[in-house]
Amino acid sequence: MDFLNNMAMLFTRYSNFFAEGVSNTLIIAFFSVLLGSFFGTMMAVMRMSKIRIVRYLATAYIEFVRGTPLMIQLMFIFYGLPMTGIIIPEIPFLPDSSRFIAGIFAMSMNSCAYIAEIIRSGIQAVDKGQGEASRSLGFTESQTMRMVILPQAIKNILPALGNEFVTVIKESSIVSVIGIADLMFRTNDVIAITYVQLEALAIAAIIYFILTFTMGRFVSYAERRMSNGTR
Amino acid sequence: MGHDNLLTVSSLYKNFGKVEVLKNVNTTITKGEVVAIIGPSGSGKSTFLRCLNLLETPTSGDIIFEGVNICDKKNNINEYRQKIGMVFQQFNLFNNMTVLANITAGPIKIKGLSAETADKLAMKLLEKVGLVDKAAVYPSQLSGGQKQRVAIVRALAMEPDVMLFDEPTSALDPETVGEVLSVMKNLASEGMTMVVVTHEMGFAKEVGSRVIFFGDGAILEDKPSAEFFKNPENPRLQEFLSKVL
Repeated sequence: MDFLNNMAMLFTRYSNFFAEGVSNTLIIAFFSVLLGSFFGTMMAVMRMSKIRIVRYLATAYIEFVRGTPLMIQLMFIFYGLPMTGIIIPEIPFLPDSSRFIAGIFAMSMNSCAYIAEIIRSGIQAVDKGQGEASRSLGFTESQTMRMVILPQAIKNILPALGNEFVTVIKESSIVSVIGIADLMFRTNDVIAITYVQLEALAIAAIIYFILTFTMGRFVSYAERRMSNGTR
Repeated sequence: MGHDNLLTVSSLYKNFGKVEVLKNVNTTITKGEVVAIIGPSGSGKSTFLRCLNLLETPTSGDIIFEGVNICDKKNNINEYRQKIGMVFQQFNLFNNMTVLANITAGPIKIKGLSAETADKLAMKLLEKVGLVDKAAVYPSQLSGGQKQRVAIVRALAMEPDVMLFDEPTSALDPETVGEVLSVMKNLASEGMTMVVVTHEMGFAKEVGSRVIFFGDGAILEDKPSAEFFKNPENPRLQEFLSKVL
């Protein structure tokens, strides 16, 4: 029972630590998912481009980003970029904004590679005959994409995309290493102050779980909405 | 060139990588003809058919459709595809649309028909193939034969000048082959120009006005259907017919 009592004590006494951590985690995750989805879509389009050099560049990027640790990517962006003369701007009135920019940039550039692959595989999983039937009626390539391919691809894409969003929430804990006061960072603060380690980590784990579980429910709700009507 | 020549194919070559699939194919399809294309698998007959509406891009050669070379990149292929109906072995109905929406998508979005006019047209065509009661359902709820009849209606709704059929009954179970063939027979009797890649020798003999035999990427025999089956000349065709008849 000591364990639970300690958790309750930590949670009430340091609730403002956890609250700040959660809000920063959500900020990082939200912008990373948003930007990751946007650039991931563009990357997927490039990955399927008819122009060979564009396709190769996108493939190289995706393979490289997926094949190296996020931690190293983050370090290179936060510590490496300024050494090459690229200074990440500090936005007035927003504390730690250069850290946040670096964190969100690294997370979204990383997530973008995974999302690109999710979208590409979702589109290419749609039977080739669907596109051929549409083209042979006289629809253009973009009409075919909008009317026939994407509505079917979205059903393949959505579940995997939901997983990716959940992953982003969890993986965002890595930005604590460049000093962003996210949930992981603030949990470590609580540990440093109180020397109570496992209880603090248990609280963090439960909070992360609540975030990812809620995200998961949203996604499966969206999936159900999408599959209404067809098949 | 006579206005009866709907499609003229000259010196058509198609390679897939290093493999020559079509080697110098030449033929003319006249208005109102029903051309059956037969041949062993891998002989290039499906590839030939898919070249006719440029689902496959020929490596070289010309395809003149209603006086226009559709292989010329200056011509907008989408415009000509509207007049060339295509029916696939795997039906390829749009899974995300109802039967009605499958049929009306082209007329509404390409030809600019009002939804009302397109619906009426679709229902009239569905009645012809006996599927009026299926207008509101999704393709996944149809049998193979029903899917194929809807696919034929979808192509017809664009009011094409020629219909291409790529083994339309090969994916059907034997019981439902008949219902699709009878729709095609009716279509032929209404004077529709048809090019049909098929393994149904009965259909080729009975409905085809002309039969083409493909072997090794070339046309080995091309005759009016009665004569085709009575006096096959090419030894490869004789061998083929002795196996399938």
